[in-house]
Amino acid sequence: MDTVLSARGLVKEFKRAIAVDGVDIEVKAGERVALLGPNGAGKTTTLLMILGAISPDKGEVEICGVAQQGNRSKAAENVGFAAGYLPLAGEMKVREYLTMFGEIYGIPDPSKAIAEGLERFRIQHLSEAKGTQLSSGQRTLVGIVRAVLHKPRLLVLDEPTASLDPDVAGRVRSGILDLCADNGTALLVTSHDMLEVERLCERVLFLSAGRVVADGAPSEIAERFGREDLEGVFLHLADENYQHSDFPTSQHTDHIL
Amino acid sequence: MKTQHDPTTPLPPGAARSWLRMRAVSRRHAYVLVRSPHRLFDVTLWPLVDVLMFGSLASFVGTGNASGGKQAAGYLLAGIILWHIVYQSQIAVSTGFLEETWSRNLLNLMITPIREIEYVGGVALFGMAKLVIGVGLMMIGGFVFFSFNITSLGFAVVPIAAVLLLVGWAISLFVIGVVLRYGPGAEALAWGVMFVVLPLSGVFYPIDALPAAVRPIAFALPTTYAFAALRGVVDGEALDWSYVGIAAGGALVLSLLAFWYLVSMLKLFRRRGYVTRYA
Repeated sequence: MDTVLSARGLVKEFKRAIAVDGVDIEVKAGERVALLGPNGAGKTTTLLMILGAISPDKGEVEICGVAQQGNRSKAAENVGFAAGYLPLAGEMKVREYLTMFGEIYGIPDPSKAIAEGLERFRIQHLSEAKGTQLSSGQRTLVGIVRAVLHKPRLLVLDEPTASLDPDVAGRVRSGILDLCADNGTALLVTSHDMLEVERLCERVLFLSAGRVVADGAPSEIAERFGREDLEGVFLHLADENYQHSDFPTSQHTDHIL
Repeated sequence: MKTQHDPTTPLPPGAARSWLRMRAVSRRHAYVLVRSPHRLFDVTLWPLVDVLMFGSLASFVGTGNASGGKQAAGYLLAGIILWHIVYQSQIAVSTGFLEETWSRNLLNLMITPIREIEYVGGVALFGMAKLVIGVGLMMIGGFVFFSFNITSLGFAVVPIAAVLLLVGWAISLFVIGVVLRYGPGAEALAWGVMFVVLPLSGVFYPIDALPAAVRPIAFALPTTYAFAALRGVVDGEALDWSYVGIAAGGALVLSLLAFWYLVSMLKLFRRRGYVTRYA
């Protein structure tokens, strides 16, 4: 299987805190991987380094064999990103917003990709709505449609179902699973919903204090830590993370998401 | 035989793809302008207010002195119209970028393949459309209210306008760099910086009229030479190419410095993870 993401030795330090401390991640084509860990473990910083929005102090990232450093634009062609916390541009209608991003990804006529994406996530009726008229769940769905317009080989999602009701969260999950199955898209996702991770991902990476502390199938990891499920592992690591943290206050979390 | 590209798949790298991205960014800012009517004031009402104010001032100064009045009208109206080239080009690019921070769209853009130069090109392209509207209305206003026709100055105005356009873009790159470095709090600079450059550039008067202490700053600004050249043209003289040359050289140096500063601040922005300020 091709490797779509290879991140080696990623290190990121912000002021007095090390956010990411030597993280290695490899994701193969079509693989669905969850990046888990308690708040402040370095998940979002790792994702932003993979996406090229933050440059690592050490280490390197390759997307589909293209080094992120020095080739950000080319590497970005194979990645899509959506996060529950990212808003839509308020003055634009959904169709206009998606057209803009389709064109930025180099598609001269993205209308077909837009129609397919809206249909996949069952939000065709939102096509003419403005960003300001959408609920947070609808914004998330539109954000995911935006992220997959160009059929990326790697889809990165940061908390995609945070603050969504179970119905919409289910729609997001089934849409993502269909997409991965149809296009062979690899998935790298962060979530605090362990049940969702077990449904969505076949492999889990646990981060704690900026380091990968476990890598494997959800059931394997639960077994390795002597817990019943991923939630048990999560709570165990969160407790450990807190006890070992030098700066458990806001000072620590200023730049670590 | 050249095969036709399937428009539903991404274009190969090249000028066509860059153009597509620039056009996408331009159109995004067109939507912002059209759907936020108060922003239309920047390209309609405020430029007309400036024409009214400076035209009226010229009429008052020239009362009882026909030739002096005509000269004052020329200086003030030609000055303010060409000043708006610097102002509109600067503010269009600066606020175009700021719009991405206000709408928290910056991270969405930063993780796409769009290159920084394509983004700035797209915003500048739309800025040109705003510039044409704003300056066009000023020209019409000057003619209707004060019988001042800037086209009577001839093609000499064209190279001066080109230099001023470049200066406006250069200042905007500098402003974007400052906002990247210092965050949204620094955005006041987008508007404020022009109120510093305006009096120091001798837009309406020779810089001999400035206090001696600030003249060295005025001498260092390319806009000073562009407006000096403009006043010569208003006086009916031939275009002083030496002034235009100094202004163009200065504008080029300023652009290179601003570009270097922007690139440095963008690297710092990525290194320090400042994007989280906007997510």
